[in-house]
Amino acid sequence: MLHVQSVSKSFDKGKNFALNDVSFQLKAGEVSAIVGESGSGKTTLVRLIAGLEATDGGHIVLNGQEVSSARRMVPPEKRNVGLVFQDYALFPHFDLLKNVMYGLSKMKNKTERAREMLQLVGLEGLEHRYPYQLSGGQQQRVALARALAPNPSLLILDEPFSNLDAMLRTHLRSQVFEIIKKTGVTAIFVTHDTQDALAVADRILILQQGRLVQHDQPANLYTKPSTLYVASLFGNTIHLDQEMQSTFACPLSEHCSYAIRNEHLCIDKECEYVTEAQVLKKTFIGSGTHLVLRLENGQNISVVTRATDVAEHIRIGFNSTDILELAK
Amino acid sequence: MKKIMIASLSFLVLFSCTNSGENGENGTDEHSEINVYTHRHYESDQELFKLFEEQTGIQVNVINASADELIQKISMEGSHSPADVLITVDAGRLERAKSLDLLQPIESEVLAETIPAHLRDPANQWFALTKRARVIVYDKDRVQPEQLSTYEDLATDKWKGKLLTRSSENIYNQSLMASMVVNLGEERAKEWAEGIVQNFARTPKGSDRDQVKAVVGGEGDIAIVNSYYLGQLIHSSDPEEVRVGQQVGIFFPNQDDRGTHINISGAGVAKYAPHKENAIRFIEFLISEEAQGIFARSNYEYPVNEKVAPAELLQQWGTFKEDTLNLAELGQNNKRAVILMDEANWK
Amino acid sequence: MWNVRANRLIRDTDRWSVATLAITVFIALPILFIAVSLFSGPGETWQHLVQNLLLDYVGNTVFLVLVCSILTLLCGVGSAWLVTRFEFPLRKQCEWLLILPLTIPSYIMGYTYAGVFDYGGSIELLMRFAGWDFIRVDIMNRWGLAFILSISLFPYVYVSARSFFLNQSGNILEASKMLGVGEMGAFFKLILPLARPAIIAGLILVWMEVLNDYGAAKYFGVNTFVTGIFRAWFALEEPDTAIYLSALLIVIVLVLLMLERWQRKNIRIASLKYSPLSPRRITGKWMQWFILVVLLVPIALGFIIPLAQLIYWAFLTAAQVFNTDFLYISFQSLGIGLVTALITIWFALGLIYFSKWNNLVSVRNVSKIGILGYAMPGAVIAIGVMIPTLALDKWIIGMMEQHFGLNIGFLIHGSMVALVYAYMVRFLAVAYHPIESSGQKISKSIPDSSKMLGIGNIRTLFRIELPLMKSGVLSAFILVFVDVMKKLPLTLILKPYQVNTLAVKAYEYASDERVMEAALPSLFIIATAAIPIIFLNRLQVTD
Repeated sequence: MLHVQSVSKSFDKGKNFALNDVSFQLKAGEVSAIVGESGSGKTTLVRLIAGLEATDGGHIVLNGQEVSSARRMVPPEKRNVGLVFQDYALFPHFDLLKNVMYGLSKMKNKTERAREMLQLVGLEGLEHRYPYQLSGGQQQRVALARALAPNPSLLILDEPFSNLDAMLRTHLRSQVFEIIKKTGVTAIFVTHDTQDALAVADRILILQQGRLVQHDQPANLYTKPSTLYVASLFGNTIHLDQEMQSTFACPLSEHCSYAIRNEHLCIDKECEYVTEAQVLKKTFIGSGTHLVLRLENGQNISVVTRATDVAEHIRIGFNSTDILELAK
Repeated sequence: MKKIMIASLSFLVLFSCTNSGENGENGTDEHSEINVYTHRHYESDQELFKLFEEQTGIQVNVINASADELIQKISMEGSHSPADVLITVDAGRLERAKSLDLLQPIESEVLAETIPAHLRDPANQWFALTKRARVIVYDKDRVQPEQLSTYEDLATDKWKGKLLTRSSENIYNQSLMASMVVNLGEERAKEWAEGIVQNFARTPKGSDRDQVKAVVGGEGDIAIVNSYYLGQLIHSSDPEEVRVGQQVGIFFPNQDDRGTHINISGAGVAKYAPHKENAIRFIEFLISEEAQGIFARSNYEYPVNEKVAPAELLQQWGTFKEDTLNLAELGQNNKRAVILMDEANWK
Repeated sequence: MWNVRANRLIRDTDRWSVATLAITVFIALPILFIAVSLFSGPGETWQHLVQNLLLDYVGNTVFLVLVCSILTLLCGVGSAWLVTRFEFPLRKQCEWLLILPLTIPSYIMGYTYAGVFDYGGSIELLMRFAGWDFIRVDIMNRWGLAFILSISLFPYVYVSARSFFLNQSGNILEASKMLGVGEMGAFFKLILPLARPAIIAGLILVWMEVLNDYGAAKYFGVNTFVTGIFRAWFALEEPDTAIYLSALLIVIVLVLLMLERWQRKNIRIASLKYSPLSPRRITGKWMQWFILVVLLVPIALGFIIPLAQLIYWAFLTAAQVFNTDFLYISFQSLGIGLVTALITIWFALGLIYFSKWNNLVSVRNVSKIGILGYAMPGAVIAIGVMIPTLALDKWIIGMMEQHFGLNIGFLIHGSMVALVYAYMVRFLAVAYHPIESSGQKISKSIPDSSKMLGIGNIRTLFRIELPLMKSGVLSAFILVFVDVMKKLPLTLILKPYQVNTLAVKAYEYASDERVMEAALPSLFIIATAAIPIIFLNRLQVTD
C-alpha cells in the first residue's frame, strides 16, 4: 500500500543527497523497520513519506494515490499518516485525553474513541494528567495512542525507543508492537538498533548514505547479506580479502566478496580453515569473555567465547558453511 | 483567542467609523464647521477657536503639524482636500503654499483695511495675524547698546567669537537671510553670512532661548533671537529663566535705515476650501480687536491690528521701525537663502 | 531538466507563497513607493547637497551608529549578564529598572539633558548651591547625542541579551566548568558568541532608531541623514530630493540587515534547548554592592536623572499645563496604543508564519523587508502611506461622483485606519523578533505532529503554537505599545481631527521650545509606558 519509487532528496541544491534513488514497496499490515546510522537518510525518508518534506526526484504513492511527486505534493494533514516523533511531541498544554482527541475532529464519539485508545496502551485512569506528569515510557504510549486514534492507513515511529533505558526498552518494544499488530495498521519504524528491527519487523530496509542497500526479511538479511556493511550490522564481521584468505589458507573465487561473522569463529576446535592467533586482551563481559586477538598477518579481530580459561596462543578458525557470499 | 480577535476588530471598526465621518465633507453643509490646518499650538489659540465657535456656531476642526507637513498634505490631497484655512508661523511658508497654488485670493474689506499692506500678500492670498521681530539681545554688563547698530555690523570683526544664533535649519534665520538677499543682493548677502559665521562663539545649536542663556552664561556677548522668546523667558515659571531674561537688553537693529527684520504668523484660505465663507469669517475674526488682544496678551507677539496695544513688556521695549519689505519677497527667496547659508558654512 | 524545475516550482507555490507576498507588499507598500523614487532621481539641489552637506551627513550618521553600537552593547550586554548571573541587593528591582529608559522618547531625553547641563540648569544650580563655580559641559554635539541615544536605547540590547542568558546558557556554563574553563572564559568564548544572534537582533532596533532620530539630532545641532532629508524637503523645497535620500536610507538599512544575516549564517544553533541559568552566584558583600553601584549608573543616567529633572519642570509648570483634557487625552493615547499594538501583532504573526509555511526560500527572504519601516522617519512613512491611500480614495471618490452623483470626502485618508496602518508599518520590526524567537523555542515536532493529526497550518497556529508562545507575543505587544506611546507625533499629518494624544502634546511644547511645559505630558507617557514594562519583565523571567 506504500510505493516509493526512485525518491531522492537533497538539502543543498544537489551537492549532497540525503536520499538517492530509493525504491521499495510495502504491503498492507506489514511491519517494516528502516535501519541505518545517523546520516543514512532514514529520518528524511519517513519525513518524505509523511509529507513534511517534498521530494526532489521520484514519487511516492500511498494507498493508490500519488502523494509526492515532481508536480504534486499532498500536505501532511491530508495524508492520513500517523507519526510518533522521537521526542513524542505531546502538547504540553493539553491533558492526555485532549492530546489523544486532537486528531479526531472529524469523528463522532471522539471522547469514547480517545478513552478506548488510552485503555489500549494501558493508561486508563490517567486521562486528565498532563504530559509533564508522566514518565518517558508513559509519554511514548500516549504518543502512540494519539497517532493511532484517527485510524491512519500508515503509522510511522521515528526512533521510538532511543530515549529509553535498556530494561524498559525491551518491555516497551514488545508491548508497543503487540498493540500495533492488534490494530493491524501498516507500520514503519526507524531505528539505528538492529536488535529492535530483528525482534519486531516483518521486513527490514537498510539505508546507507542515502541509498537503499537491502530490503528483506530479517532471517535473509542475516544469512544472505548483500554487502559487508549489511552483514556487519548484525554483528562483527571479518572481510575475507586476499590477505585473510591466505592467513586462513582458504582460497575463494574472485567473483564475489566473502566474509565471516566473528560469532562463527571457533576457538581451539576442529574447523576447516584455521590459523594461529595471539590473545592480546581478555575482558569479562558477563555472558562470556571478550578477546582481542592478533592474527599472523598482523590484523586484530575480536571474538566472544564462552570458555573461561583461555591461553595466550589459541587456534582460531571457521567452516565453509558459515562463509557469507556478498555481492561484488 | 478568538474573542480577542473579534473584540479588537470591532474596536477598530468603531474607531474608524467615528473618525472618518468627520473627515468626509458634503460640500453643501456650509454652516457647521471649518477645517483649520495650523502650525501654531499655543493654548491661547485654543481659547480663540472656542471663542469663535461660541460667537458663530461654527465648529473648528484642527490639524496641528509643522507648516511644511501641512503644505505637503494639502498638496497631496489635491482638489478633494478638506482644508479650509492654513496658518503658519512665518511668511516663507505662506509664500510657498501660494507658489504651489494651494491658496486662493480673498476679497475682504475688513482684512484690507485692518492689515497694513506690507503684511499681506499683494495678490490677497495670505494675511498676517501676528508680528514678531528678529532682534539682538546683549548682556547688559558686557555690552552697551551704543555698540550695536545694524545686522550688517554683526558680521564685522569687532564681534569675533561673540555672536550666538541658532542653526540655518531654522526658518527664522532663513527668513532673515532672505531679507538680506533682497536688501543687499546675493553677493553681499553671502559675504554677510560668511562674516556672521566667522563671528560665531560656537557652532549653532539649540533654540533661541538657549542662545539667550548662553549669552548670560558668558559663552557669547550677543545673540540674534525672536522678540517673543524674550517675553517668554521673563515670564517663565523657572526662576532661572526669569533671571536670564532680565540680564539681557533688547536692541532693534537698522533703526536708521530700513528697519528691523520682522516676520509674521499668518493665514490663507485653501484653494479648494469646502467652507470658503466660514474661512473668511474665521480670518476676519482673528484680526478683530478681541482676538488680537488675546494674541498680544498671551504670547508676546505684536498684534497686526494697529488699534490693539501690545503686551506691557513689549510697550516697555518701545516702538521700533520695521522693515516694510513685503514679506512675499522673503518667501520667494527662501530657497536661495538656504543655499547661500550652506555655502557660507552656516551649519 | 528545466521542466522538472518548473514543475517543482508550480508544485511548491501554494496559497502560503501568495499570502506571504500579499502581506509583505501590504506592509512594505509605503517603503516600496519611496524606494521606487530611486529611479526617478533626485531634484536639482542634489548637487548642492552632495557638494556641501552629504559628507557631513554621512560622517555624522556613521559616527552615531558606531558609537551607539559600542555603548549600547557594553551597557546592554554587561547589565544583562550581571543581573542574570549574580545575586545582590535590589537585584529584582534592577531587572525592570534597566528597561525603563525605553519609556522616555529620545528627543525628550535630549531636551532634558540639555536642560540639565545648560546655563541655569540643574547642574549649575547644584554647583552654585555647593559654592563652586559653574563649569559648563557642552553636551550639544555628536558625542552628547550619541550618549543620549545610547542611554535611551540600550534596553533593546539588554532585553534580548537577558532573555538568552536567562534561558539558554545554563548548560554551556556547566560544561565549560567541567572542562576547567572558568566563568570569564566561558562568558567570552562560549556564551557571547552563541548569544550573538539575540544580541544583534536588539542592536538592529538600536540602529534603526539611531538612523531615524530627528528631534534630538536637530536640537543638538548634529546634521545626520535624517535631518538632511527634512532639510531637502522643507528648507530646500524639494520633496523629490527628500524622498530620494529616504530611498538611500532604505538601501543603507538593507545593507545592515544583510550583514546581520550573513553573520548569523556562521552560527547554526543546533539546539535552542531551554537551559536556565541557576543558581545565581553569590559573591562577597563588597562585590555585591559594587555590582549594584555599577548597574545604578545606566539606571540613573537613563531613567532616574531625567525623571527627576522632568518632575522638577512639571512641578514648575503644572498650573499652566494641566487640565481635565489631560485625562481624556491620556485615554485616547492608551486606546490608540492598544489597538495599534494588537493590529501590529496580527500582521507580525502573518508575516512570520505565512513565510514559514510557504515553501519558496526566495519568497521567505523577500518577506524580511517588512521590518524596514522602523528605520524610516515617521514623516516619510506618512508620505509613503498617503500615496496609496490618497490614490485609492480619489479613485473611490471619482467612482462615487460618476456613477452615483455622490460627493463624499476622503474615506481612508485622514481616518484612524490610515493612521494605524502607518504605525503598523513603522513598528512591525519591534514585534518581529520577540514573536519569532519564542516560536523558535517550540520544538519543530510539535506543530509537525499536529499536522500529522490532520490539522492544517492556521488551526495548528492557534490551537498549539500560540498558547505556547504567550510570553513572546505579550512581550511583542508591550514593546509595540510603548513605542506607539512614545512616537505618536511623527505622523501628525495622518491623524484625524479630534485625535489628540500625550505624545503630541509633549512634542508640540518641545518643538515650541517650551521644554519645561513638555515635562508634564512626558511624565504621563512615561507612567503609562512603565507599567506594561514592569509586566514585561515578569514575563521574561518566568518564561
